[in-house]
Amino acid sequence: MKNLKYFLIFTFQLFPNYLPGHHSFTAEFTAEKTIIIEGVIKEVWFRNPHVRYLLEVSNENEAEIWDLRGSPVVWLARKGWRRDSIKIGDQISVSGFPGHGEKKLLSIIEVTLSDGSKLIDKAPR
Amino acid sequence: MNIFEKIIINILLFISLTIDINAQDSNFEGSWELSLQDGARTLIGTLEIEKQGSTWEGHLEGGPVEIIIDANEIEIIADSRDVRGFIFNRRLKGKIVNDQMSGSYRQEGAAAQKEKPGTWKAKRDSSVISQSLLPNPQDISGIWTATQELDFRKYTMSLTKKGNDWLKVYLPYYDQPDVRCTSIGLPSLVTYSFPFEILKSNDRYTFLYEYQGKTRRIWMEKDKPSSYMPPSRMGFSKGIWEGDTLVITSNLFEKTIRDFRGELVSENAEIEERYSLSSDGQKLNAIITIKDPENYRRNPTRRRQWVRDKTTEIFPYTCDPDSFYLPMYENDEMQMYIDRSHLRF
Repeated sequence: MKNLKYFLIFTFQLFPNYLPGHHSFTAEFTAEKTIIIEGVIKEVWFRNPHVRYLLEVSNENEAEIWDLRGSPVVWLARKGWRRDSIKIGDQISVSGFPGHGEKKLLSIIEVTLSDGSKLIDKAPR
Repeated sequence: MNIFEKIIINILLFISLTIDINAQDSNFEGSWELSLQDGARTLIGTLEIEKQGSTWEGHLEGGPVEIIIDANEIEIIADSRDVRGFIFNRRLKGKIVNDQMSGSYRQEGAAAQKEKPGTWKAKRDSSVISQSLLPNPQDISGIWTATQELDFRKYTMSLTKKGNDWLKVYLPYYDQPDVRCTSIGLPSLVTYSFPFEILKSNDRYTFLYEYQGKTRRIWMEKDKPSSYMPPSRMGFSKGIWEGDTLVITSNLFEKTIRDFRGELVSENAEIEERYSLSSDGQKLNAIITIKDPENYRRNPTRRRQWVRDKTTEIFPYTCDPDSFYLPMYENDEMQMYIDRSHLRF
């Protein structure tokens, strides 16, 4: 686990508000912490009701597959986040709320692409 | 002053103090318009306070809140969910002075949408709904974009035994209709943070919701549906103008859920929506009330506000439930899901 590239972030002030959740995040994710993981995109589902990416995170001995969940397409499209914004094979860093327990599940807050550009799920005020 | 006189005076003082405290306490009872300041946004809700024997009961927007009263001081703990669906509390502390309450509040618990400590106040609820106002239709047509104003997003509601029994077996996320691309219907569709468009015709308004690409007709002349109209998640909606407020009453529903928590909205529910424009015509406010005594001891209320935004487009919504079913398959949860089929609608 020591080389697993994720870091706990104990502050939420960096991310004051987020996507318009359309289902029970409490049931799946915890708001107690956010984490950042890095890896390579293996699968992309850019569809409503929510987008999904599978991210392969390299470990010293093995690779872990993380299940990333995002907003509905209609919401992401409004922010310039399109089907081809993240493609299979892309190296990304992503922050989000992890799933409960040991589930390798992440509700996306922000994605940093390999060129340094960012994609953010941000809710309206 | 002898000892006897001192005892009498002390008794009288004690009685007068007790009467005073009781008088202060009783001032809290009643219906209040509560407003809370979270930065630049203002939340509005109806707070009801009642005394049941020696204990206080409170409800905000139809849902229970914890009330602690000590002389002229009050503490209110109200749950909510943020825009992402995480649950938290707001703890309000304040005083009553001259029949008005005010104080400060802070957010408690883990939420994605952080709120800095703020202020709140409450005045006696003086809202009077008059149905005798002459119709004064307003131009509400156009595309409307949701704000995060007004709505407390009260999370728990005051449920009947039937409503509670339902909630015990409900499985959040897995049982929610829209994650499998089934209509979420009313009232959720109205309260979600996606834009919608209102079109006006001679005898109806047509609401086009971006989320799930749903269409809804508000009939202004027809009083009831045809006898063969099937129940649906959107129901049958009849609208009237009460002065400059559009009041929509909907019924003929299929079962659905009220919000993420999964409380039931029955086939016999009636949902009332009251839409009013701001004086400049740029904001549309709504109060949405569920009347479903089978499931709720008090009527759940939500509030929403939208703004006109000419730059907003209503996008097509194509739904594919793969992102819901595939993880269940991968996590060996399909049999569990199938075994629960009778609990979904």
